Amino acid sequence: MTIQKRIAIYGKGGIGKSSTASNVAAACADEGYKVMIIGCDPKSDSSITLLGGKRIPTILDLLRDGVDVKEEDVIHEGYKGVKCVEVGGPEPGIGCAGRGIIVAIQTLKKISKSLNEMDLIIYDVPGDIVCGGFVAPIRKGLVKEAYVLTSGEYMPLYAANNICRGLAKINTPLSGIICNSRSVSREEEIVTKFASEIGSELMAFIPKEQIVQDCERDGFSVMEKAPDSNVAKVYRKLAQAIMERDSSVMPEALDDERLRELTK
Amino acid sequence: MDNKNISIIHPRPSSIVAALYTLRDLNVDVAILHGPPGCSFKHARLLEEDGIHVVTTALDESGFVFGGHRELVNVLHKVNDMFHPKLIGVVGTCASMIIGEEMREPVMEANLDVPVIEVEVHAGYRNNTKGVLFALESALDAGIIDREEFSRQQHLLEEATNVELRHGAASKEYLAPSRGDVKYKVAQRIIELLKEGKRGITIMNAKKETGYMFADITVAVNEIAEQLGKADNIINMSNTDVGLGLPRVRHHAECIMNDFEEKGIPIHEIIGGLDEYPVAGATIDKLIEEKYSDYDFAVITGVPHAIPMDHLSDMEIISVTNGPRQVLPLKELGHEHVLVEIDLHPKTLGVNHIVESEFGATLREVAKESI
Repeated sequence: MTIQKRIAIYGKGGIGKSSTASNVAAACADEGYKVMIIGCDPKSDSSITLLGGKRIPTILDLLRDGVDVKEEDVIHEGYKGVKCVEVGGPEPGIGCAGRGIIVAIQTLKKISKSLNEMDLIIYDVPGDIVCGGFVAPIRKGLVKEAYVLTSGEYMPLYAANNICRGLAKINTPLSGIICNSRSVSREEEIVTKFASEIGSELMAFIPKEQIVQDCERDGFSVMEKAPDSNVAKVYRKLAQAIMERDSSVMPEALDDERLRELTK
Repeated sequence: MDNKNISIIHPRPSSIVAALYTLRDLNVDVAILHGPPGCSFKHARLLEEDGIHVVTTALDESGFVFGGHRELVNVLHKVNDMFHPKLIGVVGTCASMIIGEEMREPVMEANLDVPVIEVEVHAGYRNNTKGVLFALESALDAGIIDREEFSRQQHLLEEATNVELRHGAASKEYLAPSRGDVKYKVAQRIIELLKEGKRGITIMNAKKETGYMFADITVAVNEIAEQLGKADNIINMSNTDVGLGLPRVRHHAECIMNDFEEKGIPIHEIIGGLDEYPVAGATIDKLIEEKYSDYDFAVITGVPHAIPMDHLSDMEIISVTNGPRQVLPLKELGHEHVLVEIDLHPKTLGVNHIVESEFGATLREVAKESI
């Protein structure tokens, strides 16, 4: 029996956390692992490519309607049995998404028996660590380790560095850095260096390829729609690396000056 | 100690509650608390005793996550149908303000034919007078009060904050609540002083409706002096100017003055309006300096810590407050006897006549035995 992995993927908004998370989930499912993906973004789009483009009812939608939420109401099976959960949240600009994550995570903890049966649980958390609500999966004891996704551009690296600072603060180890390429100059070199300077390492370099977009537009993961593509191989390798990963570090964030130097 | 930097850790009234009371003084018929059902429960209930309706949008977890726009619109319609109000107030709470609730839009959407004062307030302010100020600003915007009254109130609030910082509940990091001295003993002392032919001043410097009970102490002291044939030894001051303050506050002053008159209590000096307790100190000090500096004792009720000690220090001071945390600061100011009227507030809401105080009752009982 494998040790259960409970990971969270952090990174600047729009950097590709959801597509990475869903492709890793699909790749692990291909290998026969029991996988769950929990999308924590109010947009509730983390699992959409595992469900053929379909949206599922979110935990918060049901809570809002006063439903006595049961496991089967919120956990939906997608590609190769991947269990998909969406936290949901308010419309942009009203209410409080952070509080929403807290409430949903508490609900999930209470109702879900299958959390313990999984080999891998991926929390796809929204963007940066902006407030207490966004670290609820960690603080409520559901996440054991974190991965940070970045590109070689300055702002995503800046966010990644900031997240590392946050992880150290909440005492959560970093298992690795993943680069989702934006095809900028010296990208792999920069991110590799960043990873090593904060005390971690680069887990994967995901090339920027149109196929990822095409599959997403159709509502599918790369693993399902283009399993033989080059990028599918990269995801497969990343998935394997995550499942085998047994070391992690408390990251040491760089100061602003060093970060700027690194990207020059 | 630097008052600006101390972190006060004893519980104090909140800005939300302060806003509610201000809306009451502006004569709203209904106040809607936009937030969780239990927020400010005790004061909300008390205010209902005072004749206004206090209701809540009762936000729950779902409301905190998704916002309470719809709930507020619903409650606005509901209270309009149920109570046919002439003026409505909406008050924010910690929960609704932290999640960034906007109250103007729901009010516009509800589109009632009634003016609505919205107060965006939570309890996270160092000075709870912020809640009063926000309510007054909104009332000014809504045309309920004029600029002149607003400026007057603003000045009073600043002074009220200063009074609390100097010698009140905001003067120390922690103040333990206390019941003060034994009322029976202090009653005996006053009777003794009067028997000895000493001359005394009663100073009622009360905050708004609390005047209904503090006035009873003025009445009791005068009754005892009368029984002892020393009525002329007593000078009475009270902050019951009937022409000053928000509508409800002026009404309270009128009611109290009517009762004084009916009971035959002469008020020698009117020292301000019922909302002028933070600034009446200067007037009182000047009056004492000019006319009563050789008096022997003073019975000060209401907000005694707002009165400077400059010309009182030679007198024996008996002060009566309704703040259990006020005992130590008053003792430190040099007040020999400090009494606390417990539960004063609940008993003075919704009334329009002087209410018997515990100390007044004690004075009358002790007098029965010893005169």
